Amino acid sequence: MVFDLSFFTRHLPDFGRALLLTLGLGVAAIGGSLLVGLLGNAFRNLPIPGVRVAVRSYVELARNTPLLVQLFFLYFGLPSLGIHWSGLTCAVLGLTFLGGSYMIESIRSGIEAVKKEQIEAGLSLGLSRLQLIRHVILPQALATALPGVAANCIFLLKETSIVGIIAVPDLMHLTLGLIGLYYKTYESLLLLTLAYLLMILPASWALSRLERRLRYGRQTA
Amino acid sequence: MKIHRHNLLLPTLAFFTAFALLSILGCTKKSADSLSTIRTRGELTIGIFGDKPPFGYIDQAGRNVGFDVALAHELGRALLGDEKKVKFVTLEAANRVAFLQSNKVDLILANFTNTPERAQVVDFAEPYMRAALGVIVPENSPLKTLADLKGYTLIVDKGTTAESYFVKNHPDIELLRFDQNTEAFQALKDGRGAALSHDNMLLFAWNNENPDFRLIESNLGNADVIAPAVKKGNTELLNWTNEQIVRLRKEGFFRRAYDSELRPHFGSSIKDPGTVLVEPTP
Repeated sequence: MVFDLSFFTRHLPDFGRALLLTLGLGVAAIGGSLLVGLLGNAFRNLPIPGVRVAVRSYVELARNTPLLVQLFFLYFGLPSLGIHWSGLTCAVLGLTFLGGSYMIESIRSGIEAVKKEQIEAGLSLGLSRLQLIRHVILPQALATALPGVAANCIFLLKETSIVGIIAVPDLMHLTLGLIGLYYKTYESLLLLTLAYLLMILPASWALSRLERRLRYGRQTA
Repeated sequence: MKIHRHNLLLPTLAFFTAFALLSILGCTKKSADSLSTIRTRGELTIGIFGDKPPFGYIDQAGRNVGFDVALAHELGRALLGDEKKVKFVTLEAANRVAFLQSNKVDLILANFTNTPERAQVVDFAEPYMRAALGVIVPENSPLKTLADLKGYTLIVDKGTTAESYFVKNHPDIELLRFDQNTEAFQALKDGRGAALSHDNMLLFAWNNENPDFRLIESNLGNADVIAPAVKKGNTELLNWTNEQIVRLRKEGFFRRAYDSELRPHFGSSIKDPGTVLVEPTP
């Protein structure tokens, strides 16, 4: 087994492009998911009947259907209703739909972990509802929720590998395409692994740094 | 408690290196099954398509049918005396080579065009059909020839001769690549690309069912041939398959299979089956 070195130099630019696209897709999906996660939790606690059930239903639906099916629905299903979204749009929306539900659950666990005494203390100081959320609940909730949120971020980055089925040219799609064209299986897979490591290891490292920084206020037993 | 989380790089790299080495060792050691092994096993595994009518597809009763399947049954009868002893494995265009290399199938009969790149990694037997590429567009499309396609998006199946032809010869045409035939044609119907390129015979058949599309090219690329393939170096099975193909050509099997499997799908697009079949040399 000898690696074909010229294959690496020839296709490195392709991998660079695919890496950027995958990273962009992942970042967009993470951003969207965080937004959905925060909004979902805000809505959950609104005193409007039905909203809580709606959020709950969304979480169950998104978490209990495969991303593959969600992407197929967006890409091949919606055109029959007259909605034509590009592959990239469908990929970002699909990943956000899935990621948002996981974020809602992670952030919820953080909010529920805030001690009741903290809220009572805030109320007795005369804080308004918004002040209470901004200065008491969120700082503590986010610190608690961070490990879960970080795991979701990494999960979303890896989950981008499926979007090739709707012809979005991400890293996995590129690699499988090159294998199909030139049959350089090992060379392609090696470049693929390196590209994913290049993307995910720094992200993982940065997230655990952030986790440690946010733990500053935590009492250790 | 303090955990060293950042020293993961070295173990990770070590793991992947070990994995790569193991898989390379694993691949070189495994050899393909010889004819006698297949006879003892009593089962001939053949890789075919499941969604490419009229070559390999699933009928309403859930059976594998089509031109390639008819040939597979014939080979099963010749080797094991019973066409039911053929075990079908459905695969996609892009993973045909991998299925042979990893010994998941003995033989590929999946509309497999013999190209120089593929001939380096698998062994092709005697051909049984001829293939060229076609390009199909919606009826109302302004596109008239291949030259008009510049700047438009063209839909192809990953790992097909259509993909490699356009990558090599027309890099200015943007490609939208799908894993499965069904998805590629659905994307064409949804207007995700201006045109779709595939083997001409497949397009004739599809056009017959979908009359609101038209072919703007039907004879692109080299005059390629379609042949069965075995794993590289499996000479015994290769020689046997060659003998069978030559025999079946002489017996007129391919003409008969053309009439029963292909003609109903092609409609009037192909007048003379001699243009697509490889005829016996006198």
